[in-house]
Amino acid sequence: MRFHVVKRDHCPLWKLLGLYVLAVAVALVLGGLLLLAMGVNPIAYYGRMFTMGMVGNKIAYKSFENYLKVFVPLALTSVALSLAFKMRFWNIGGEGQFILGAVAAATVAFKAGPVLPEPLTLVLMCLAGMLAAGLYGAFVAALKVRFGTNETLMTLMLNYVALYFITFLGETKAPWNFYLDDTSARPIFTSFASLASFPKIPIGKFGLNICVILTLLIGVLVYVYLKYSKQGYEIAVVGDSVGTARYAGMKVNRIVLRTVFLSACLIGLAAAFKVGTAGILATTITDDVGWTGVIVAWLSQLNTGAIFVVSALISMLQYGSTTAASTFSQVDSSFADMLQGAILFLVLAADFYTRFRIVPVKKGGNDNGNG
Amino acid sequence: MEMDKLGVLTTFVHNIVVYNIPLLYGTTGEILVEKSGSLNLGVEGIMAVGAIFGYILGCYANSLGAGILVAFLAGALCGLLFAVLTVSLQANQNITGLTLTTFGLGLYFFVGSGVKAVSWPAMNDYANIKNGFADVAIPGLSQIPLIGQGLFSHNLLVYLGVVIALVMWFYLSRTRYGLRLRSVGENPGAADSVGINVKRYKYLHICVGCGIMGIGGYYMALNMSGSFNSSCWINGYGWIAVALVIFANWNPALAILGTFVFGFFNTLRVSGSSLAAAFPGGLGWLAAVPTQLYQALPFIITAIVLVVTSVRKREGSGQPQALGLNYFREER
Repeated sequence: MRFHVVKRDHCPLWKLLGLYVLAVAVALVLGGLLLLAMGVNPIAYYGRMFTMGMVGNKIAYKSFENYLKVFVPLALTSVALSLAFKMRFWNIGGEGQFILGAVAAATVAFKAGPVLPEPLTLVLMCLAGMLAAGLYGAFVAALKVRFGTNETLMTLMLNYVALYFITFLGETKAPWNFYLDDTSARPIFTSFASLASFPKIPIGKFGLNICVILTLLIGVLVYVYLKYSKQGYEIAVVGDSVGTARYAGMKVNRIVLRTVFLSACLIGLAAAFKVGTAGILATTITDDVGWTGVIVAWLSQLNTGAIFVVSALISMLQYGSTTAASTFSQVDSSFADMLQGAILFLVLAADFYTRFRIVPVKKGGNDNGNG
Repeated sequence: MEMDKLGVLTTFVHNIVVYNIPLLYGTTGEILVEKSGSLNLGVEGIMAVGAIFGYILGCYANSLGAGILVAFLAGALCGLLFAVLTVSLQANQNITGLTLTTFGLGLYFFVGSGVKAVSWPAMNDYANIKNGFADVAIPGLSQIPLIGQGLFSHNLLVYLGVVIALVMWFYLSRTRYGLRLRSVGENPGAADSVGINVKRYKYLHICVGCGIMGIGGYYMALNMSGSFNSSCWINGYGWIAVALVIFANWNPALAILGTFVFGFFNTLRVSGSSLAAAFPGGLGWLAAVPTQLYQALPFIITAIVLVVTSVRKREGSGQPQALGLNYFREER
């Protein structure tokens, strides 16, 4: 019997969720077998991982605060990337845009922090981060609309230019380099937490960082923007068919530039949130959100609500594995990367069944397919 | 004194080759994959997988050949995974590639340092590996002053990398199968309509290409001079390879040259100060250049190449037309 692959028009939500849950479950079982082979009780390990060490912990609120620190940059970056992806603009330069945003925000903190009131400094940090990242992204978009330069490869290259730029700042001792700690002989970044730091709203012992609220708010705004605004509609049309957009009289180049700028701006904002919370730069400031964000946005099928759920889960996986590693010392935290990879592979495979159907080819029927 | 200066230069040329051959493997592998129309961003992860399994099993078998074979197979398995997901299951290539990188590096660090109960073998304890990886001088050529020792006295894997690149160049540009492969990458619909089995071509070349990347990772593991430590992973070689594909205009023979150019900057980062010390008059300024600039240069150069080729839109660009696009027969 031969089979034939046919595109599905629509996949019911329950089926989609069911397939995804199944994929994650299979990955967890595979990971569990590996843990068993290493002599670790998988249920205990996963329990520790998914509760992020909060159960039976006196300072559980601290864990949750730290978890949110992982969640905020990832969620905001993923939302930002989804804007560009909706337009089929493959911005995989989230890493580079994040880094430039972080450096710009830190620059403002160092320079404006001592002279301006803190709230104003924080606002300026956000604006500087957005502008720096936005221009870095818009540069690639301009090349794309003007010359047709491949944006996937271009943003990829610029990631590394930015990475070595921040490495340069972090490793070069010089009188001009105010990013570094003067008192240390070795080059290390210096903290500006005392100059500018995003405030927390105390709820009992737990401090809810204002960035969390802002991120959720931006999520809602982006959802409304994409769904109900004229510009959001333009993005959808350009993503579906550039030809149609042109025919309808849309200025495609302007839409691409505007959207990519906005997308990169939000990544810069995520970076400003990150440095404004951490109070210090680092060459690893991105925590790979530029890469992970691409995957999160895609897995969520560019749905803003789903992006928040998926980033919450991925952050749980990442932060949980570091807390679990402190209890189960024989399991390295790189286990999480592997598990994450396995989950994604299986979800990608499951995704196939949400988009296609496999039907047997009937005997004597139109048998032209191996595809 | 004069001899000593010559020695510094020879060492410099030698180092360019020794430390950058993984780039050549990664690049030629990726060229083969991209010529089939697939953009695989998982080079970094695939090299890592090839590195760890090639190294460990090669040492246990005490055979360089076994190591190469295992690294190739490990890489090819990653390629098979990529092919199943993107060719058969129509998954997005960018996402699948990035996932492969995350997974591969996770696996590398997990096996390398995550399994704390086991200590991994040291290469120098295995005579066949150690001797197999030793330099072999090519008679005659290696006697040329200055460049002889620099270019023609290397380990077998260096020669193998160059041979693979040259054979692939011949295969792609001079054989029937290479022509068919290119047509699959340019326009799979047209290739399909003249009876080329698009799926088979994609699967085969993705797997072989990824296998070649795996050997590059194995080379990197061996070149970490004998001891195994996962912190030795040289971050970013896989990504430079992706850049190098563009720089070499999808031509494996040019990739040899490109490896040398990119390797030149890589090596300046390490040896810049010794060159500056040997030639204070002419090259003294090298010591003042930030090392990070050398690291960024391959990416800056590639970005410029990307822009220039897109501005000129010239006929000779080797970028496959259908690069990054999945082929679904019913949308033909």
